[in-house]
Amino acid sequence: MGRPRGDNAMEKNLIRADRTALAPYTAWAALFIVVPLAFVAYYAFTDASFNFTFENISRFFTATTQTASEDGSVREIRTYIVIFMRSLKLAAISTAVCLVMGYPIAYIMARSDARVQKTLMTVIMIPMWMNFLIRTYAWITILQDTGLINRLLSAVGLSPVHIIGTQTAVVVGMVYDYLPYMILPLYSVMAKMDVKLLEAAQDLGCSGLGVLRRVIWPLSVPGVINGITMVLIPSISTFYISQKLGDGKFFLIGDAIEGQYTANNLHFAAAIAFILMILLLICMGVMRWLTDKKRGGLA
Amino acid sequence: MKHLSRIYTAIIMIFLFAPIAVLLVFSFNGANSLSVMSGFSLHWYRELLRDSNTLISLRNTLVLALSSAFIATVMGTGAAVGIDKLRSRTALTVYDTVTNIPMTNPDIITGISLMLMFVFTGRLIGSTSSLNFATMLIAHITFCLPYVILQVLPRLSQMDRALPEAAMDLGCTPVRAFFKVVFPEIMPGVLTGLIMSFTLSVDDFVISYFTAGNGFETLPIRIYSMTKKTVTPKMYALATIIFFTIMALLIINNVMSDDQRAQARERRKARLPMSSTADMLTDAETVASPAKGRSRKLSDRGKLAVVACLIAVCLLLIIVPPALIDSDMQTLNVYNWGEYIADGSEEFMDVVSEFEDWYYDNYGRRVNVNYTTYATNEDMYAKLKSGAVSYDVIVPSDYMIARLIEEDMLLEIDFGNIPNYENIGEEYRYLYFDPEARYSVPYIYNINAIIYDANVVDEEDAQGWDLLWNPKYAGKILQYNNPRDAFGTAMYKLGIDANTTDPDEWNRALEELLRQRPLVKAYVMDEVFNLMESGEAAIACYYGGDYFLMSDAASEDVDLQLYYPDPTCYFMDSMCIPSCCQNKELAEIFINFLLEEDVAVQNAEYISYSSPNVLVQESEEYADYMGEEAMEALYPEIDDFTELYNANSFRNQDSATMDLMNSLWEALKIQ
Repeated sequence: MGRPRGDNAMEKNLIRADRTALAPYTAWAALFIVVPLAFVAYYAFTDASFNFTFENISRFFTATTQTASEDGSVREIRTYIVIFMRSLKLAAISTAVCLVMGYPIAYIMARSDARVQKTLMTVIMIPMWMNFLIRTYAWITILQDTGLINRLLSAVGLSPVHIIGTQTAVVVGMVYDYLPYMILPLYSVMAKMDVKLLEAAQDLGCSGLGVLRRVIWPLSVPGVINGITMVLIPSISTFYISQKLGDGKFFLIGDAIEGQYTANNLHFAAAIAFILMILLLICMGVMRWLTDKKRGGLA
Repeated sequence: MKHLSRIYTAIIMIFLFAPIAVLLVFSFNGANSLSVMSGFSLHWYRELLRDSNTLISLRNTLVLALSSAFIATVMGTGAAVGIDKLRSRTALTVYDTVTNIPMTNPDIITGISLMLMFVFTGRLIGSTSSLNFATMLIAHITFCLPYVILQVLPRLSQMDRALPEAAMDLGCTPVRAFFKVVFPEIMPGVLTGLIMSFTLSVDDFVISYFTAGNGFETLPIRIYSMTKKTVTPKMYALATIIFFTIMALLIINNVMSDDQRAQARERRKARLPMSSTADMLTDAETVASPAKGRSRKLSDRGKLAVVACLIAVCLLLIIVPPALIDSDMQTLNVYNWGEYIADGSEEFMDVVSEFEDWYYDNYGRRVNVNYTTYATNEDMYAKLKSGAVSYDVIVPSDYMIARLIEEDMLLEIDFGNIPNYENIGEEYRYLYFDPEARYSVPYIYNINAIIYDANVVDEEDAQGWDLLWNPKYAGKILQYNNPRDAFGTAMYKLGIDANTTDPDEWNRALEELLRQRPLVKAYVMDEVFNLMESGEAAIACYYGGDYFLMSDAASEDVDLQLYYPDPTCYFMDSMCIPSCCQNKELAEIFINFLLEEDVAVQNAEYISYSSPNVLVQESEEYADYMGEEAMEALYPEIDDFTELYNANSFRNQDSATMDLMNSLWEALKIQ
């Protein structure tokens, strides 16, 4: 191209400036994102005197516990595998509930006029400014046997329900805390959808459900993937919610890590964290692969 | 359809705001309960304003959030500019992956990974306080960065790339070109990133929990460490204030942008109104945006207003508790249980600030007490053992003191600096963990008791440990949510020595707990207060002194009673000076101060456990305050306290037993 010569020097200048702008982050990311993960691996594969060992990793997979089932028969289960599967189950349920609850509201938001959109968004964000611990604590008051729900039920003459300490309570806590993380990515893809596409589909004879299935849903997949990631990951590793709303009866993988940390068993805590990280990476990798490159990253 | 979507929106809003409504209402509770509402009062707001430690932790939270958000935004914006120009696919993939790590890694892993690194490098360079404000700041910046980058990047890619070049053609330097041309274009993304970082930082608990060090306690850490005592409506009052502050900010912001919008409409320039904190968390190009040009600038101003208000509020908060940067100022780091010192609430003395004043009056120098709290002995030990913190005074329980002495982690106390030590009763001085009284000064002690609701539990059942296993009260029984105390109850019931190292006996105790599990309503720590006060549960084993706090706040149809099963566990929490102490003499002066009669009385009344301080036990004011029933329960007639205590308290466990206990505990919990 017939560019004047000066441009070349200028471009170099510009590139140099951009590189300089990137440099602090590069150093930071290397030092505080990558290196710490190496430390997790290092601790996971060493014993208390920092000698190499597979002990911690194999303990995760082989440790067993006797459990008695209802009929009195005793079974042997693999402790941490079971804990992990339980956490995954609860997190998956919570994520699914978040998706089901969040999808319509995200759609409603995206289709409202700008002013309503803005208000709804703000309203959804407000709870996040009150600390997570306090919000979770307040749920106890609502869910407990003499709590608000049951008082309401008995006021209208219905029999009380037992919620606190059940799986439902833990799921409610997780859904509550992480719902905004589902709504916002969903909303952000839906707001970008072209209304004309929906109208076109209707003009061409698509039913309401048809539009949803053939147009809206496929277009929203990247948001769905983002939302699932943002909800699944924190809910799989939480330990406060399960302690407070689960009556201490739900022992999740986060509780296991925290328990080993307070028992000053750093190497085993690191091993559990390391395995959790690898398993999640695999999950995310599979999900990304399934949805191809629909998810918008940096690249 | 329209109606349907309105109803649905309303349902979601109710769901999102139900707990907030609850904490709003309970913040006006007349009683100290989060489940029984009795009367309207502003009590907790007054309490909050008097509680300087909570206010400091609020300030710390805001300072941390503001500085991490600011640094993350600057660095993240720079990074986005750089990444935007990258041409190599490999480089892009690398940056994409690394940037995604903090977002797709669970908090707990980010927290642990940073903690491990800080602790390890801290040890390498021999630093005694490698966990501190700086490490929390680093952690918060690290998890905020990706959000900023992902907000700014799309703005950059939408921008006309010829713009900065044109600016430079016209003689701008690259930096000038950036600020003149690029920055205004990407401003909305930058602001959204900033607000998002701030929000995430304020809301974070997990990462702070692992990276927190001494002298810098944030709100979440403080709330978490209230686990042994109870979370009071005071915290709800705080949340309510935060809530209304945010509302006010948003309304101001709305009014302002409405103004601007009106003006803009007049000028027929605004096409699409949008603004405010609203577009947090979405990526930048959301909100159907032909909103390029002018209307976007409106939204910027709205956001700027929010940011400005935030900064103003934070600055105010920073200034309010006067942070005297005095070169002559000494610092004392105290690490104590949550809710374990009279803190200026109710009619109580604010012991910490009282000490600061007293010290200034007597020594003519300023001292700043950094008072931080922990939830369990094990939490405290984990922090101390990491070698990454530095405390001057700690208050561990007996078995933990034994462990610390064994591991050479305590300093011998110079009792010459603690003349008030004579106030400590002779029988409390030479307990098993410190038989020669060299390392510890008794602070407060108590006895594990069984607390029950006499309206539910029959009189004849209320004895011994069997009550906790009585199937008649299935679903009404509470058990400790910590392994040591829980196994203790089973061992006492079985007549096993609670300090046994025999695995068979531990397994028998586990079987007993497994047998109890179907009867247990919940495994609890501080939740015990709410559950007992509201009558949800009828039987609990807990620390005897807490009974008085519970029965004060209990609902009308609950009649709480207490008895001590035999045998039961005694515990003593004593003041010690850890080997990382930086100012031993000051620590001793502080300990001495806590033994003064009026201070010790205040603390004993506040904590409501038994005091080993003779002056307290003899104080008439104290006896009046506690009442006869409490005095009898707190100070049962004991011939030889030392002997009884030594026979009935937890000892330090060897690591094999500790490991066994933890895995048996997991076995109990995963049934």
